[in-house]
Amino acid sequence: MDNLDAARMQMAFTLIFHIVFACIGMVMPFFMVLSHYKWLRTRKPVFLKLTKSWQKGVAIFFVTGAVSGTALSFELGLLWPEFMKHAGPIIGMPFSLEGAAFFVEALALGFYLYGWNKLPEKFHLLTGIIVGLSGVASGILVVSANSWMNAPSGFDYVNGQFLNIDPLKAFLNPAWFTQALHMTLAAFVATSFAVAGIHAWQIYKNRNVALHLEAFKIAIVFGAVAALLQPLSGDLSAKDIAQRQPVKLAAMEAHYETEKGAPLYIGGIVDEETQTVSYKLEIPKALSFLSFGDFNAEVKGLNDFPKEDHPPVAITHYAFQVMVGLGTLLMFSGLLYFISLKKKKWQASKKYWLFFACLAPVGFLALEAGWIVTEVGRQPWIIHNVMRTKDAVTPMPGMIYSFYLYVILYAVLSVAVTWLMIRQIKVLNNSEN
Amino acid sequence: MLYVVLFFTLFSLFLYALLGGADFGAGILELFSSKDHQVSIKKRVYSVMGPVWEANHIWIIILIVILWIAFPGFYNVIIIYLHIPLTLILLGITLRGVAFVFRHYDAVKDKSQLLYDRMFEFSCLVTPIFLGMTYGALISGNIVLLENTPNADFASVYIKPWLQPFPILTGFFFSALCVFLSATFLIGEATEYERRMYIRKAGIATWVVVVLGFVTLAVAYFEENKFVLDVLKNYYAIGAVAVSGLLLVPLWKSIRKGKIVWCRFLAGLQVLLILSAAVGAHFPNLIITKTGQISLLDDMAPESTITILGISLIIGGLIILPGLFHLLKSFKMIKILENEEN
Repeated sequence: MDNLDAARMQMAFTLIFHIVFACIGMVMPFFMVLSHYKWLRTRKPVFLKLTKSWQKGVAIFFVTGAVSGTALSFELGLLWPEFMKHAGPIIGMPFSLEGAAFFVEALALGFYLYGWNKLPEKFHLLTGIIVGLSGVASGILVVSANSWMNAPSGFDYVNGQFLNIDPLKAFLNPAWFTQALHMTLAAFVATSFAVAGIHAWQIYKNRNVALHLEAFKIAIVFGAVAALLQPLSGDLSAKDIAQRQPVKLAAMEAHYETEKGAPLYIGGIVDEETQTVSYKLEIPKALSFLSFGDFNAEVKGLNDFPKEDHPPVAITHYAFQVMVGLGTLLMFSGLLYFISLKKKKWQASKKYWLFFACLAPVGFLALEAGWIVTEVGRQPWIIHNVMRTKDAVTPMPGMIYSFYLYVILYAVLSVAVTWLMIRQIKVLNNSEN
Repeated sequence: MLYVVLFFTLFSLFLYALLGGADFGAGILELFSSKDHQVSIKKRVYSVMGPVWEANHIWIIILIVILWIAFPGFYNVIIIYLHIPLTLILLGITLRGVAFVFRHYDAVKDKSQLLYDRMFEFSCLVTPIFLGMTYGALISGNIVLLENTPNADFASVYIKPWLQPFPILTGFFFSALCVFLSATFLIGEATEYERRMYIRKAGIATWVVVVLGFVTLAVAYFEENKFVLDVLKNYYAIGAVAVSGLLLVPLWKSIRKGKIVWCRFLAGLQVLLILSAAVGAHFPNLIITKTGQISLLDDMAPESTITILGISLIIGGLIILPGLFHLLKSFKMIKILENEEN
């Protein structure tokens, strides 16, 4: 592996790790607060117990997300110093606002965790709400920096120089809205299905059902609603990418030739050498319709672009298939949950709980796949059509060792956090409600 | 607006050094204590710093973000040439953060606590050493720029600049400062029995700081370190260090008399004076390489960026600082109420 690939792998690995914790840290406070609210309303001890155990989860995930986020804020520079040198002044604004939002979240979490029996009840609840809101705000803000890499704006690029910098315009770049919407919904889908799935498994195993049922009900609502909205947001994203990054769309769909009335490929095995996709399912004219709202619109193929500007096609295509496939599965599962509210019989079945338990990792797999689509699909550019990733990498050799260090560190942390969660649930099951 | 940005740069640097430093110091204190004391320190630190311990460590993120937005040329040098110590700092910050939360939020309290404790204590020791080393390396005049020597080998570009007596001593000096801060902060929170322990430890830390300070300066002087030679010519820096040293007298008087607020204020002020001497003496030329100096203001971001960053920082500050103040205040008030109840 050369230095560039090692740096890329390290970045990918850190982001894959961080995104899980960041999403949980963003969304779980809402579950915690809702359960807290129910406790204040009903005074049923089960809600207090649930709130307190979710709060421990929030604390553990928040901190792991925070430290891996600190690592990321350094890594951007450590791995891509040339990128940060030029991009820093342009996209600094969302980062500084994200820093502020994150700070507010940390303060509010301090109030919340230490506020039991000390702060007035309503104010205490409010600090929990602020934790959730500022978490979502920091997520939305930081996506702006990523969307700017896809839709660079707010500067003029003249002879290798970045002139007339307008940070506000860069902050409000055209890809921000669709990306932030898609990501926020994805965070809710992934976290909700994961949390609901864990509690569904406990119900399936018949452990402390009273508590886990309440937990499941709170978590799944967020996920089911978000999963039903997500395809609409995906459609907005697709149309946006078709306009701005046609080469990425071509890679997502593994379309090599420009076509009018282009078919949608589902699945298939990509051969980048021969530029063919075998064993695929074709839906005639669907790609043209989905990208441009017109069955006969022209969709540009990869061969319309110089070879050195192609992203890795196979990875992007597979990741896209995984994301859409799993997203669709979750959408129908959300629908299934709402139907099961009418058909109570379903919830009495063991299979129902096993099904939701199996869905626990699915949302996060879809979310990771989605980030692979957008990040790998942007290659070879670190700033779309402006700066190549290879020109941004650190001159320091031996990045492979740094990569190994991070792999070991984050593997250990993942195991540790999972182990802590299992202990948490065991304690929860072995005590009175 | 440049002044607003510079103010927040130094503000977050100093606050990180003070608050984050005190956090690190608490872990070092724990490491160098007997078993009984370790338990009591652990409890004390959790109750005192718990609500703000995460916030304390966000200052470094704010600092990094300001550096890369406003001073990209300066930041670029740090991030390329000090890659290795920065990575080790990150490792320390990560392990310290997770160890802290693991040991307080693990649902089962068993032998794994021992592991979390050691992890916490060692990362608290190592991180400030590397933080100090990084700063020491920046001002040591050891950094070799690739553009001047394209054929330089790996070790002389990426390792030798920080693995030298002066940066290493600076690292130890900074971690001693952390312990000094932490011990004086904790005196005021402790019970009568603990108080004597903290006073003893604060005393040891004071001696270590003074001795290490002299050794660091002496080594630098004999190495003909440009930075230190310049510091010795700078009236402000000498004055600040001298005042900081003289303040030890009232500090120890107030510690003996149990004037909690005063001893915290004085200890914080002393550390601030030392830091401001270290930063102020050579400001803004805070990187000294083998062949020259690099100013914080070299290759600065354009005015439009500085303006927007300044506005963002003011807005952020208006939200965060009252929140932080209220957080500190409300938990303090609660403590007073609790004491009365008992």
